[in-house]
Amino acid sequence: MTLAEFFSCTLLAFGPPLAMFAMTIAKDPVRIIIMIAAAFFWLLSFLVSSLVWFIVVPLRSYLAFGMVFAVAFQEIFRYFIYLLLRKTEAGLKEISDNNEISSHKLEMAYVSGLGFGSMSGAFALVNVLADSVGPGTLGLQNGTEFFFVSSAAMTLCMILLNTFWSVIFFNGMDEKNYKKIFWVVGSHFLVSGISLMNTKGLYVFTILPSYIILVITAITAFKCAGGNIASVLNSCFSKA
Amino acid sequence: MNFYYAFIVCVTYLTQVSQCERLHGQIYSSIEGSAACFRRLNGTHQMGCSSSDGGAVGIVQMIKDVEDAQWIIKNSSSGPYVAVVSTSLFQSVINLLIDDPSNVAGVLLYDNGTMRPSSFSQESKCPNEYSAAPGSTCSSSGETVWNTKGTGLLRKDIPFPIFFVPDSKTDEIEKIEKCYNRYNLDKSNQVGVPLCSVQLHSFMYAAVNTAVCLRRSASSAFLTPTKVCDPLGDYNVYYSLFPRAQENETERRPVTFVTARIDSASLFDGVSPGTASSVVGMVTLISTAATLSKMIPVADEKLYANNILWTLFNGESFDYIGSQRVAYDISRGSWPPVNPLSLSDIKLHVEIGQLGGSLDLYKDNVSWPLYAFTGNVLAQEIIEFLNDMTQTGNLTVSPILTTNLPPSSLHSFKRILNVTDMPELLLVDHRETFTNMYYESALDVSDTIDYVYHNLTVGSGGEFIPTSELLSKGNMTDKEPQVKISRIANALAQTLYKRVTGKPFVGVVDTSAHMVDEMLQCFLETSSCRLLQAADFMSADQNKADGPASLYVGVATWASTPAVYAGHLLALLTGVHLDNNKTVCDELSEPGFSYYYLRGWNNTGVCIQTTMNFSQAVSPAFIKTDYDFTSNEFSTWTESVWQTMWARVFVTAGGSGAKLAGITGAMATIIAAFITYWLSVNSAVVFASSIDAPNP
Repeated sequence: MTLAEFFSCTLLAFGPPLAMFAMTIAKDPVRIIIMIAAAFFWLLSFLVSSLVWFIVVPLRSYLAFGMVFAVAFQEIFRYFIYLLLRKTEAGLKEISDNNEISSHKLEMAYVSGLGFGSMSGAFALVNVLADSVGPGTLGLQNGTEFFFVSSAAMTLCMILLNTFWSVIFFNGMDEKNYKKIFWVVGSHFLVSGISLMNTKGLYVFTILPSYIILVITAITAFKCAGGNIASVLNSCFSKA
Repeated sequence: MNFYYAFIVCVTYLTQVSQCERLHGQIYSSIEGSAACFRRLNGTHQMGCSSSDGGAVGIVQMIKDVEDAQWIIKNSSSGPYVAVVSTSLFQSVINLLIDDPSNVAGVLLYDNGTMRPSSFSQESKCPNEYSAAPGSTCSSSGETVWNTKGTGLLRKDIPFPIFFVPDSKTDEIEKIEKCYNRYNLDKSNQVGVPLCSVQLHSFMYAAVNTAVCLRRSASSAFLTPTKVCDPLGDYNVYYSLFPRAQENETERRPVTFVTARIDSASLFDGVSPGTASSVVGMVTLISTAATLSKMIPVADEKLYANNILWTLFNGESFDYIGSQRVAYDISRGSWPPVNPLSLSDIKLHVEIGQLGGSLDLYKDNVSWPLYAFTGNVLAQEIIEFLNDMTQTGNLTVSPILTTNLPPSSLHSFKRILNVTDMPELLLVDHRETFTNMYYESALDVSDTIDYVYHNLTVGSGGEFIPTSELLSKGNMTDKEPQVKISRIANALAQTLYKRVTGKPFVGVVDTSAHMVDEMLQCFLETSSCRLLQAADFMSADQNKADGPASLYVGVATWASTPAVYAGHLLALLTGVHLDNNKTVCDELSEPGFSYYYLRGWNNTGVCIQTTMNFSQAVSPAFIKTDYDFTSNEFSTWTESVWQTMWARVFVTAGGSGAKLAGITGAMATIIAAFITYWLSVNSAVVFASSIDAPNP
């Protein structure tokens, strides 16, 4: 049962991002570069937050403390990517032989968001996946065997959220619409705060609100990118 | 998943600060203090246990009665299982499990001090049957056997691992039972649900038999030497009353050979208490030697024409490794290395055999009847010896005339040296069958002889309180094992005094039950006892293990502590204490003596002059070139190499988590792929409003 657990959890967490990558990013080397760069920026934010955690010895055992700094640094580094991409946009356009690159303003936001989220997801889940190989599962002290699937679901949620957050964030920065920025940072804190409840083994109560936030964020991102119900209907209609 | 939990965990891991518990620690709980059954090999067979390379995983089943074991074999729906069984039920279920091991992953045996079985011995019914001298009638398949309670498990190839959890670690069993009660109680519903399980890891590298494993050990793969087994062996301890080094061929003093054994055995690594199997005999020998050395100062050696040679054999549980080696070395004239002994020098061989088994039987009595196995001729020497012993000690020692001797080193001498007429005497406390119900097992602990440590003060010069004073002051009663053992040691010492000097002893020297008390504590309760601390090298650091040393002989490449302890005790208690400091002591070199700078009674260091020495106890099979390992001439025991032994408890998944993850994962991926595809195809229409380029 344990290898099945490992592979199915991997599929749940990384299947959708992989599909998205394969269909939208893999064909274009410049997009891959942007994605890797974004992943690297997430690693930098991770490094800085771990340094803070390491320096402030007395608060180490408090999860909430580390969490606050981690979220803050991730958002700061999201801003850094934004700055970087807007500065290099023209250059990237020139080296690319794909004319379509950056035809949409938020395309880079989507690509970098996916890179940012994938790296955070990989770091969140890799330890858990290593232990999912077995032979044991949670349950000796607290928790149940659904720990692994809920971890994978939560990781997927975070990867997708990061993707959409980047889209909203970039759009908000472009439009100087600080409500959108506030939503990104605020919902990031909210989801992370909800995840603290996992220590009590209440998996449903963390996953459900997180996915509700994910849906809201996805719709917001969709709107930011210029989509609306009419355009969806339009596309269906034009197809038919 | 706790997203930031993993983050913290990761950082924790990187910085080696473990304030947050790792996920691994929440899943697994190791079973601490457990001892595993391991594999030994002889010339023809492999014996003992091994797990698979990755460890054996099985569902916990607490065995409360024999039916539970039968349920595992016959009616269980899931499996394989790990049977968690107490020592009191072990003997009745183990054969069931061994005979039908297809659904058994392993056995976890635990000792409950309050519920011990009345007998527990994994040794065969005729210990060392195949190394017995001619004349022995004991046969495992026959009627007359020594170890009636023996199950022979120690000499069986067990198809699954067995781990032993001692009485001191009952909280580990409580932990398993708690987990078992939470998940496994519903026996009819064990498919597809989470179950409490145990993993036992004790993978053994060696297999088949000694010849095969030695051949494999000699080969090397890609220039990396591989070793899969080691010969069993350690050191014998010997000490002569007078130095023998300066004697020459013509004027060699005849010796009385007084022997006992050091080692015991059990199925489990590091658990060989051997109280009644070997400790009482060994302590009796050391006490006797200590007493005799007080009666006859070594300085008076010129006055006497007889000598006593005391020897403690090691590895006797495994086809008499120690005594076979000594007998073999005597036969080729090389033992002891300085002034080797010849068979004709030995006028009498007294083996202090298995003592202590009947102490519990006679715990309300002052008497402790002993038996002397003497071969089938009652030589004059023996009659005299027994007479002296019974008279001086007011003991009952009944001679038994038979060629069927209980397991003892006498077998080795008879077999290898072809001794037929040498007077020999084996002192034991049993008659036709062993009185020790825990022969060479993990339960042969101090309780079997009702030993209680008295913790009396030892004088600063190592003076012990005389037995008579202990009795008159009421510190001890004469029914206690310490007093009984000291009486035997005293009687033996006086008898040997008469053999050396030719006249009865008239002095006031007496074997102190206090000394016996201290010595028993060292071998039965803790190695960090007064005597062993005083007998340790001055240069050694004082950290010793809490518990008693395991008396298992171990492998020859690794010196184990019991022989060293016994040797140092002999040196401390019988040697001459000199007033020298360490540098002078180290430079002393009078032939026939060794000099040890020990810690002494008040930790200031003392220079000891002694004739005590160690000799190798490795079977001749491993030193003779081209020895045929199937010939059964010498002991051929080897022990497998292993890397780690551990056991842990955890919950195994029922599979619903994996199913849920699989289904949702597949669905999520398909949906994501579909939406992505649809959006990328229709992006021009859907996101029309914010596309820079004109819409075609």
